[in-house]
Amino acid sequence: MKKELKFALYAIKKNIQSSAELRTSFLMNIVGMAINNIAFIIIWMFLIKSVGVIGGWTAMDIVGLQGFIALSYGTILSTANGLRKIADYTASGALDRFMLSPKNLLIRIATSSFGVSAIGDVVFGIVCMVIYSFAISASISQIFLVLLLLIISTITFLSMIILIYSTSFFFTDANTVTSGIFELFFTPALFHGGAFQGVMRFVFTFFIPSLLIGTLPVEIVRNISLDKLLLLIILTIFWFIFSIFIFNRAVRRYESSNFMTFGN
Amino acid sequence: MKGIRLAKKIIKTLIKDCLHYPSRLIIDTFGVIARCGVLLILYWYIFKINNGVISGTTFVFAAWSIFFYFSFSVLRLRDISRLMMQDIQSGNVEVLFSKPISYLFYRIWWQIGSGLYSFVVITTLAVIALGFIIGFPETMTIGIFIPTLILTFVCASILSLLLYSVVGLLSFWIEDINPVFWIVDKAVMILGGSYLPVALFPAFMYKIALYSPFGAAQFVTHTVYESWQNNWYQLVGIQLFWIILFGLVVYFMFKKAKQKVSVNGG
Repeated sequence: MKKELKFALYAIKKNIQSSAELRTSFLMNIVGMAINNIAFIIIWMFLIKSVGVIGGWTAMDIVGLQGFIALSYGTILSTANGLRKIADYTASGALDRFMLSPKNLLIRIATSSFGVSAIGDVVFGIVCMVIYSFAISASISQIFLVLLLLIISTITFLSMIILIYSTSFFFTDANTVTSGIFELFFTPALFHGGAFQGVMRFVFTFFIPSLLIGTLPVEIVRNISLDKLLLLIILTIFWFIFSIFIFNRAVRRYESSNFMTFGN
Repeated sequence: MKGIRLAKKIIKTLIKDCLHYPSRLIIDTFGVIARCGVLLILYWYIFKINNGVISGTTFVFAAWSIFFYFSFSVLRLRDISRLMMQDIQSGNVEVLFSKPISYLFYRIWWQIGSGLYSFVVITTLAVIALGFIIGFPETMTIGIFIPTLILTFVCASILSLLLYSVVGLLSFWIEDINPVFWIVDKAVMILGGSYLPVALFPAFMYKIALYSPFGAAQFVTHTVYESWQNNWYQLVGIQLFWIILFGLVVYFMFKKAKQKVSVNGG
């Protein structure tokens, strides 16, 4: 396991070095994405201005929500961007070279690509979390809770990415299908958390875990709710184990379709 | 005549392509459900806790306004930027330049054709479903609604294509247009009345939406409100102004861009 992690870190380092070669593009992507992310904060701030507090959610909670989501999204899609390319790899036969590698298949696929723009999400997420922590005058325990929740939401996001993109092995036109499912999971996560009540909250917590990566962490920090924290941990463990199980099952369906390119 | 034949051919080919790959329709449907469907349910709740009225608007108006935004987005006109960038980065633009057709028109018709099938199917089904579930506001039943909706829809489509073509043509000068694309796209998203209906905009933001090209590219979202009956000609006029302006920008940018390309064959 230690060896696998060492390899993952090495691959990520090389990916960053390679992306940073195109310096202007690298920096523009980071800055552009950070600016791009402000959109949802603006929208929900104006909604709160027109409507007032919804479900106990204030403007600062929206900043926290976007911070949690941007950090988990940015961390995974920068370092493990290869997962999003499973559909391309299976369609082109490029998965062969990963399968022949003596390294862990999932780590090998995940670290095969680096998402430069996702670094912009990480930067944006850190700024949001710092503002949020100051705005709610976070205590030391709340800061530790934020850090713990960031790890949990990142694991949940990783699990969902593995799960969603594992479906690539089941469809021929996998790219369109996976992006559709990803949209269904991710878009509701960006919505105003206070507006999710009743059936909607149940569905997007237990069936489509969109609220686990942002809404629930914000509510846990705000109310220091140990019940919700426990629920979040249990669900995260479930989704992680389930996603690895599905990935391993899905890979068995893969049939080499090498185009005589020897994996290039 | 030649231009019309080209348009017909491209659209016909792309519709056939969409019929062969029904999964694309499924993904567009997923997209509309994930974004618009969930959002409408959330707004239904928000209006409910505010006794049905926010800033003088009821849920029915807000819902149709939001729906028009997402229905329009199914056309995927914004993707023209990325296709242009791909053409330029891959060198495909050289091949297309050497053909006896206009590259710009080819890309524009291609973009219209690729989203048309999903747009027609999803919009038709969604209008029926939404009409059945929440009903139609009175403003959508009066005589001028349909003709003015079509007029502003056509203007919005042309303006969107021109706006995103400007972004796409930047690829001739800058390596990666994605950051510019994101900013323009989010400006359209905010000012177009996507996740926040235009009726809930604060006064200054409404003015920006009214007079900027980003808001004008989504004036279809204004058509459901009562104010549309009185100021539709003003809004269409603003759209026409931006169409002319961006048309000229695209024309001159494309002229300059062509001078930068050297076709070497191979």
